Amino acid sequence: MPKIPVEQLKPGMKLARPLLNSSGMVLMAEGAELTEARISKIENMGVDSVFIDGPSRPAQPKEDLLNALDRRFAKMEGNPQMSLIKKAVREHIEAMYG
Amino acid sequence: MGNMDPKALRSRVENISNIPTIPSVLKQLSTIIENPKISLNEISHFVSKDPALTTKILQMVNSALYGFPGRISSVNHAVMLLGLNVVKGLLLSVSVFEIMHKAMIGLREHSIGVAIASKILAQKKGLKEPEEVFVAGLLHDVGKVILTLVYPEDYDKTVKEAEAAGISIFEAERNHFSETHAAVAGWLSEKWHFPKKLCDCIANHHRPQVSTLAPLETAIVHMADILVKARGLGFSGDNLVPEVNLKAWETLGLAEADLREILKELEDSVEQTEEEFRA
Repeated sequence: MPKIPVEQLKPGMKLARPLLNSSGMVLMAEGAELTEARISKIENMGVDSVFIDGPSRPAQPKEDLLNALDRRFAKMEGNPQMSLIKKAVREHIEAMYG
Repeated sequence: MGNMDPKALRSRVENISNIPTIPSVLKQLSTIIENPKISLNEISHFVSKDPALTTKILQMVNSALYGFPGRISSVNHAVMLLGLNVVKGLLLSVSVFEIMHKAMIGLREHSIGVAIASKILAQKKGLKEPEEVFVAGLLHDVGKVILTLVYPEDYDKTVKEAEAAGISIFEAERNHFSETHAAVAGWLSEKWHFPKKLCDCIANHHRPQVSTLAPLETAIVHMADILVKARGLGFSGDNLVPEVNLKAWETLGLAEADLREILKELEDSVEQTEEEFRA
């Protein structure tokens, strides 16, 4: 889940983690859908950024991650279990880029 | 240096009395201990994220001193049994007396990843104490920290050798020390009176087929290690994914869809944990 700066929040986004005040009280529940009103409430709370549902994009380019994946599995060619694990990780990485 | 005598290695390892922790942890820990409103959950959550600190705390609570020899295998359990103030005191003494050493860069991230993946797998397999498997995951590579501490130059050479030869770190360790980090951590876990299942898990995470006391838990940590290495989270001494043991694979019986689900859950948790670390 990406951490989104308050100024980039848009109505329709959903909180991936509950929003707490400094004493740990829940101010907005996990899964709450953002509205204009809620966004300005978050702004007024002095929060910098919040966790939003959805995949976050890694900092490195996808190709780099996939090449590194190939290198890590270089010695496992032809092993059926390892090929399955590699395939799952490859799909997982691809899903992170949407 | 060639092959080391395993007995000499073992006695050397068993006679170190301190495990290093990371300086920033000390700072975070003081902040936590100074906070009068800290809850039991927050404190055990904090401790559970640091392998060296967890080891030290479990070592202490499992020593005869506290009257629970070998029974406490998770920080949560320790906090519940001992109470907040005792645990705070332990934490503080641990951190103050801790010798700071430079451990392997990325090993903490790797260990946290394996701990989280172990817990996810444990829950998926319906284990009653996923928290204990979390601890086993957190500590599975503590032998590497110990080897770097006891033999800094040799271990550095071993890491470089693994990279140059394109072999795994545990093969390079075996060439150099005649034993691996898993065995080293196993000896120490026994010496510290960790629960036997936890010792079994840690000592056999590279050969889960020999585990007799905790075959499922050991298969879980073995698999968690592979998944975290496959995903490339952190660094644990080499950049190769070790081969999954067939028996462990069959014990767990995971399909491709399960693996993807676990990876997704792992990714989210690791991301949150790293946020917390930076905060």
